[in-house]
Amino acid sequence: MANFSVVGQSVFRKDAQQKVTGQVLHVGNIEMPGMLHVAVLRSPYAHARITRIEKSRAEKVLGVAVVLTGAEVAKMPGVDPHFGPAFRDQPILCVERVCYIGDPVVAVAAVDRRTAEDALQLVEVDYEPLPAVLDVLAAAVPDSPLVHETHRPAKSFADLAHVKAGQKSNICYQFRLRSGDVDKAFAEADRVFEDTFSSPPAQHMPMEPHVTLVYLDEGQRINIWTASQTPSYVRTEIANTFGIPMNRIRVRIPYLGGGYGAKLYAKLEPLVTALALITRKPVRYALTREEEFLTITKHKVIAKIKTSIKNNEITGRKCEVYWDTGAYAEIGPRIVHKSGYTSAGPYRIPNVWIDSYCIYTNHVPAGAFRGFGVPQVIWAYDSQTDMIARAIGADPLEFRMRYALNEGEAFATGTPVKSFGVKQALREAANAVDFSKPSVNQSSTKLRGKGVASGVKAVLTPSISGAIVMMNADGSVNVLSSTVEMGQGSETMMGQIVAEELGVSFDQVHIVQPDTDITPYDTITAGSRSTYHMGNAVRMAAGKVKAVLCEAVGKKLEVDPEDLVMQNNRVHVQGSEERGMSIGEAFLVKFGSAGTTITGEAICQPEAAPMDPETGQSEKCTEFWFPSATSVEVEVDTETGKIRLLQFYSVGDTGTAINPRHCEQQLLGSAITHLGLTLFEEMLFDEGQLTNGSLLDYQVASFKDLPDSFRPIIVQVPHETGPFGAKGVGETGTLTVSAAIANAIHDATGVRIRDLPITPERVLRALAEKSQAAKPK
Amino acid sequence: MTIRSFDLLQPRSLAEAVELLHKHGDDARAIGGGTTLVILLKQRALHYPYLVDLQTIPGLNEIKQENDGVRVGALTTHRRVELSPLIRQRFPAVAEAFGHIGNVRVRQTASVGGNLAHADYRLDPPPSLLVLDTEVSVFGPNGSRTIALKDFFRGIYETALEPGEILTDIKIPPMPANSRAVYLRYGTLSANDWPCVNVAVLLRKENGRCQELRVALGGVAATPLLISGLEFAHDQVVDATVIEKILTAVEEQISPSSDLRGSDWYKRKMARLFTQKAIAQLSG
Repeated sequence: MANFSVVGQSVFRKDAQQKVTGQVLHVGNIEMPGMLHVAVLRSPYAHARITRIEKSRAEKVLGVAVVLTGAEVAKMPGVDPHFGPAFRDQPILCVERVCYIGDPVVAVAAVDRRTAEDALQLVEVDYEPLPAVLDVLAAAVPDSPLVHETHRPAKSFADLAHVKAGQKSNICYQFRLRSGDVDKAFAEADRVFEDTFSSPPAQHMPMEPHVTLVYLDEGQRINIWTASQTPSYVRTEIANTFGIPMNRIRVRIPYLGGGYGAKLYAKLEPLVTALALITRKPVRYALTREEEFLTITKHKVIAKIKTSIKNNEITGRKCEVYWDTGAYAEIGPRIVHKSGYTSAGPYRIPNVWIDSYCIYTNHVPAGAFRGFGVPQVIWAYDSQTDMIARAIGADPLEFRMRYALNEGEAFATGTPVKSFGVKQALREAANAVDFSKPSVNQSSTKLRGKGVASGVKAVLTPSISGAIVMMNADGSVNVLSSTVEMGQGSETMMGQIVAEELGVSFDQVHIVQPDTDITPYDTITAGSRSTYHMGNAVRMAAGKVKAVLCEAVGKKLEVDPEDLVMQNNRVHVQGSEERGMSIGEAFLVKFGSAGTTITGEAICQPEAAPMDPETGQSEKCTEFWFPSATSVEVEVDTETGKIRLLQFYSVGDTGTAINPRHCEQQLLGSAITHLGLTLFEEMLFDEGQLTNGSLLDYQVASFKDLPDSFRPIIVQVPHETGPFGAKGVGETGTLTVSAAIANAIHDATGVRIRDLPITPERVLRALAEKSQAAKPK
Repeated sequence: MTIRSFDLLQPRSLAEAVELLHKHGDDARAIGGGTTLVILLKQRALHYPYLVDLQTIPGLNEIKQENDGVRVGALTTHRRVELSPLIRQRFPAVAEAFGHIGNVRVRQTASVGGNLAHADYRLDPPPSLLVLDTEVSVFGPNGSRTIALKDFFRGIYETALEPGEILTDIKIPPMPANSRAVYLRYGTLSANDWPCVNVAVLLRKENGRCQELRVALGGVAATPLLISGLEFAHDQVVDATVIEKILTAVEEQISPSSDLRGSDWYKRKMARLFTQKAIAQLSG
């Protein structure tokens, strides 16, 4: 990184001090005169018809402004009562039917939350129960009862343009990949491995629950302050849902208290907008943690994976992946597609068959979750890859190294891979844990073992990031971007890139928070995409500012602008600093007046080649990949089944690390998330009723649950079109955690766990079954 | 989640508190630290028009040494018990148990009396207090009375407290001479979770023989449970045969229910295992 002054440095993030001292504005801190607060009555049935709503008593409660039902929303002129990013299937409030336990039915806006909740207790709703669809595999069968009779595509995103209208099936989307001849591979196989892996629904658990505030400004424009990862999309969705021009809607996003995929697309915004339009008052709805559980989840997945072996070589792999997307599709189809096509792994397998199904059930809707479905498919394929290696007597590391794709080789989609550091990440992970050296047990009831896993996620392609960089005459810079700072460090990343490009210090760059009146369109802050997409956009926009300044200075100094560089707040001839001037002088040269600005705008929009709908083949299905590897040493207590993590290495190929410390923190942070998901997190349902829907019974990993030794390792395989070679890192550390831990447990004990979470009881039962099987009959 | 409107009554004496509870009957509830009750009120699972605040009554939050043991006021916080030099010295298993509850913020707020009166079956303190023969003092419309802690728990969230009665303090008698006690807790979810199974054992040995053995468990029955019928161990060497008989008694008396922290099968195994581990620690 010798050539860069700011990029590659672990500069301190700008928002750290303000955050830990409570100086940061969140939506929940914003107070407005006359603001109303919302409480929502939710369905007690998994699937039912609403036959009667009696709300007159609630309406009479002092302080209640409105008691709103879905039927009333549906009658609002010009309003589409349903919204959603893939299908317009989710009601703002349930209209005729409720589709899961927790589905919003009646909303009250009142002077305070308590009054709203008091009024809710006076609302009576009668239901006529309908058959509920609660098993994802049964839901996929043709004669299953239906969650929705018809499916109406939303047409909001280019990458979802191929989503089709459907009906008479709970499968709302299916992805297919066919490469080679899988049937032939299985027919000719010496040995076939066939396994089913499951992962449960789970919670994102951002510290800040969903919260949205809507008010009408003096021009009666809709102003939305919301904790969202998608300002641009929220504006589009509100425009489409309420039939309002986009410039009549302003969406602003202050710092988020975490997102992890929970805060994508529209959540509370349509309902709060409806309430603000009806009451003409500021309205805020802040979810409780308990409501959070009923709003969005990680997909439950059942993955069936079958692999053929001939002469100790993998010849074919067939994956059937069933995604429980819940009552509303949310972004399920995109997950089923993007993760679906990676289901066979980053390996060279000549014959691949993938069927990935997005399935409606009467459960809480499932959506994006840090890793976007890829952790669920890696859980399956890299557990099984390990099983195969051990079964045929191969070293699990070298087996993976043998099949991991080399630069330029085709992925299962036919796309040649680029900057694909899977092997490098795997090697680093294995070296860190000293994988070739077996663990040494310290006691007969504490068995130790080591495991590795590798995998990749593809970056969402196509997608769009626009940015404006505005340089001021004193050399300070404002960056206008709709990327949401949710803790991941995007402001720091953008600041470093722009400072590097314009030759100013990091402290001179200010990032303007997302505001759709000001900041240009961005597809989404998710999927580890911001460093590449927004990083490129701000870099290109800064480059345009630089071009304007260099043009002016070049004319003045009578040199070719191409020979000028910007460094240390100066514009000068490359190699001779004295032949130049300060940025302030350059502005005067350009404008002859103080206080002026130069603005550059740019859009980063990598393209993909559409996949063949029958075979999933594409010359370019993605711009680049996020290679991940995890290595771990565990100790299994054979008396309790409890797992202790002795050593843990989270390895990611980030491309050029713009800020190495942030990359390391992302690798560890995302690994912590998946430690909990691997060892104990699970939303438990009984006939559609969530039974552990609070933090008393649903727990996430805490610092007390961390491995004894816990380290990140960055691998940097630069991507040719990345900003300074950067790719991204937001999810990489999540991808391979579960499989690595299960593989280590197998190494320690010989038992194989196929269902997440890997609870002590599951391990103890597996150990008991193994010793039972070992006994002579 | 908000609490329905209520009146907070702040009595200055126990007599006044009892009078208020008596006067308002089912409309009133005593509140100590409130860490559990407030959650239930916010969820609107419970509602009381009157809450009788015990924190305003002087003298209920003291840890005092008395001739026949240590008295801990009902409003003493978990944190104070955990850190009390007296408790740590006399009853380390009690300090240990209180130190595991929730997190430091909860422990700074939650009260000893509230913890016991809540009568949850899987809380940290009861097993240690049970093996120490702790007594509970209550004050009510008919004056004071004491109840052995083992008779205090009656069912899930059910105690021997009569309407209008307030738990005022607990008394832990001195540990029998030459005895030791140990508390073990085992969790299956996050390290911050309630125990799946917890166990306390008190053992007094003389000349290598057991003179007194008490075993109590939590999480494995409707109430925290003091195991009865362990007299067979008296004057015995605590060897494999005796331990097996103790474990059999435990197995016979527990009745775990399956939940997210483990199935009946699993909790039985863990109850056995951790009882065994606790005895082994004291025998070693």
